[in-house]
Formats: sequence, structure tokens, C-alpha cells
Amino acid sequence: MKDQLKILVLDDEPIVCKRLKPALEKLGYEVDTFIQSVEAMHQIHQTSYDIVITDLKMKEIDGMRFLEEVKKQRPQTEVIVITGFATMETAKQSFRKGVFDFIAKPFKLSEIQEVVNRAAAKIKGAAA
Amino acid sequence: MKILFAGDEHPYSAFALQEVIRLALNTWADVTLLAVSPAPAVRELPGYGALAPDQPLPRVFNHYRETFLKAAGEEESPYAPEKWQYEWVPLKTGVWEEMLVKRGLKKDLKVRLRAGNAVQEILAEAHNEESDLIVLGCTGGGQCLWQGATPVPQRVVNDAGCSVLLVKEEQSINRILACLDQSYISQDSLEMVNQMATLHGAQLELIGLSAEGGMKKDVYRRLIEIGDYYEDRQIKVSTRLTEIAEFESFIDQELKQDLLALWMGKKSLLDRFFPRDWAGRFVSKCQTSVLVMR
Repeated sequence: MKDQLKILVLDDEPIVCKRLKPALEKLGYEVDTFIQSVEAMHQIHQTSYDIVITDLKMKEIDGMRFLEEVKKQRPQTEVIVITGFATMETAKQSFRKGVFDFIAKPFKLSEIQEVVNRAAAKIKGAAA
Repeated sequence: MKILFAGDEHPYSAFALQEVIRLALNTWADVTLLAVSPAPAVRELPGYGALAPDQPLPRVFNHYRETFLKAAGEEESPYAPEKWQYEWVPLKTGVWEEMLVKRGLKKDLKVRLRAGNAVQEILAEAHNEESDLIVLGCTGGGQCLWQGATPVPQRVVNDAGCSVLLVKEEQSINRILACLDQSYISQDSLEMVNQMATLHGAQLELIGLSAEGGMKKDVYRRLIEIGDYYEDRQIKVSTRLTEIAEFESFIDQELKQDLLALWMGKKSLLDRFFPRDWAGRFVSKCQTSVLVMR
């Protein structure tokens, strides 16, 4: 099991990627960020990510489809959904599709750092 | 999102709890239900340290917890209790105790009781928990009382470091009136409005506050930018200007099935027009629920 876990962050709001990348790198993760869902979709076919953090409401490919594709490509990838427009339906859909967690905006960096650390612990525990 | 519900045994707290439940089930928020009791009203069992079982506030909060979990359901609920397990739980700095606990599947619902001054205890809990939103109820109409006393909601609104939703009564919200009088608007506050508009399927009306018919250029620009931000996100939004001198009567007369949303900031024009506790004053004046954003 490699030590440094790889994380992909997809959010069409640049400010989210700008905040998350350094906050997660500080914890020792390798982080790639994308604001275009098409580019992120291309990337998950090229690289294996341990954790994917995705927004739901995006132009082009929406987060739910992206989540499905991530799980199809690599079922063991833990997906964390973040959304500014949470509904009970999207929350339940995310649950059914096996998300690790669902985080509504606004959130503090410490909240997402804690969730990512829990996902990392699960991944490392499964690999041990 | 982290939500702190501060409540008591009065009906307005039950209304506020319903709002917390709706918001939590949409957002999978980490929720803390906080009871605050004046210190002498909390009795411990002699020599044991546990709360006496006949006390009304703990009983009410047991009922609130059950109401919350029942609404969340068992299937596809992040709050559904998982299996029992032993965990080291911090009691205070440097002290842990291994306890048998049953956590929510993905999110926790915490129930806490603090004894002491209500405002201080609510603010301290929000600070410690890094809450994004404090929700509390109060009596409807123009009174805004909490446990029979006026200043609790007003002081929480004035002094909290995060956004505060004050639920005045059980009502549907068709419109969110977001009042802007300054150019500094946090990303968190924009997102909070997104969530409230999505939750209620409400239209958004941006109200620019002007003084003597004029408005600072940067505030006007910000008003346009915020309108564009919400339009891009398919939220129905309209914009209008209101004289700041008429703002109080506007709140009193126009708001019906609406949520009044106020941006609090250091450069607020309202700060110059009204005394320091203007937010508390408007909160009291408003007949409907109020969201104070930071």
C-alpha cells in the first residue's frame, strides 16, 4: 500500500478548489483539482484516485454521473460529495450510490479535512 | 455543515426543531441539540453526578432526539444508529473515558445540556463546535421572547460568530428577502442562502439599501454580481432598492411568508443609521423568521 493517497477534487467554483488543494496537501495527500467536469472525467480514466471529492451541480457532466463513473472505474475509490444545493433526493441518491460522505456548503476546511482523514483511515484499514 | 439548535421546552423551539430537521435531512449536517438551563434549575442525583430523571428539560430533549431520528428514518439515513462500540471519549482537556457508544451511520446527532447564562452557553457551544449555523426559536409577532426574556435571541444574533436562523413560528417561506448595504459578502453566506432557497423552493429578492437615493458604487456592483451569481445557479432572483430610513417600516409592513436575510458586516450602512444592536432590533420588529448571515 502506497503511503501518499491521491485525491481528485472537482468543483466548478474555482474558489473551492483553491481552498481545498492546500488544505489537503498540508495533511500529506497528493491533490489534483479540476473546475471542468469533462477534464476530470478524462482524468479518472488515466489515473487511479483513492478519494474523489465532487460537487453535484455542474455544467456539462453533473456530479451524480461523475460519481457513477468513478465507482464504475474503481469501486474502492471513496467519493465525497459536496453541494451548495442539497435536497433530500440528491442526498438519498448519493447514499444509494455508495458515497463515503455528503457535505453541504458552507463547510469549514476542518470539516472536510476530518472527513477525508476518515476516508483515508478506511482505505488504509482495508488494505492492511 | 454544522448546525447548532439551541432550544427549550416552549412551542417555538418545537417549530425551530422542525426547521432543523428539514435542513439536516437535505444537507446531512452534523447536528447538536443544545439545552440551556439556568444553573439552579439543573439538579444532580446526590453523590452520583447524573441528572435527576424527572427534570423537564432533559425529558423534552429526549423527545426532540426521538422526533429527529424518527423523521430521518432508518433506511438511507446518515443518522441511523450503527453498532455499539467502545470509544475513548474526551471529557475535558487531558481527560478521556472509554465508553460504549452507538454513533450515527455517517453523521452524528449530539444532545447536550449546559447550565448557566443562555447567551454565553449558546455562543460558547457554537464556538467550540465550529458551527456554521445556530438555529433557535422565539415567540412570534413583534416580541421575540425566549424563556420569557427578551434579550437572548437578540444577543445571540448580535454576538454570534456564525450565521443565525431565528425561527419565529411555523410558516412556509415563499420568498427570501436578502438585504445588502455593504460590499463585503462572505462565500459562506452566499451558500447559506442557496441552501435556504433550495430547501423552501423560495424565490430570492435582493434588496439594496440606499441612503438619500444614492448607493455606493462598490455596493451597487456587488448587488449586480450577487444577482448574476444566483441567476447562474438557476435561482429565481429579482433586485430592488429601498431607502435605509424606511427599512424598519419596510420590515414591519411588507414581510409576510418571507425570510428576512441580513448580511452582517463591519462596513454596514445600518451601523451608521441605527444603534449598535440594530440586528436585534430588526429581529424583534420582523413578524417572520430571520436569517442573519456572516
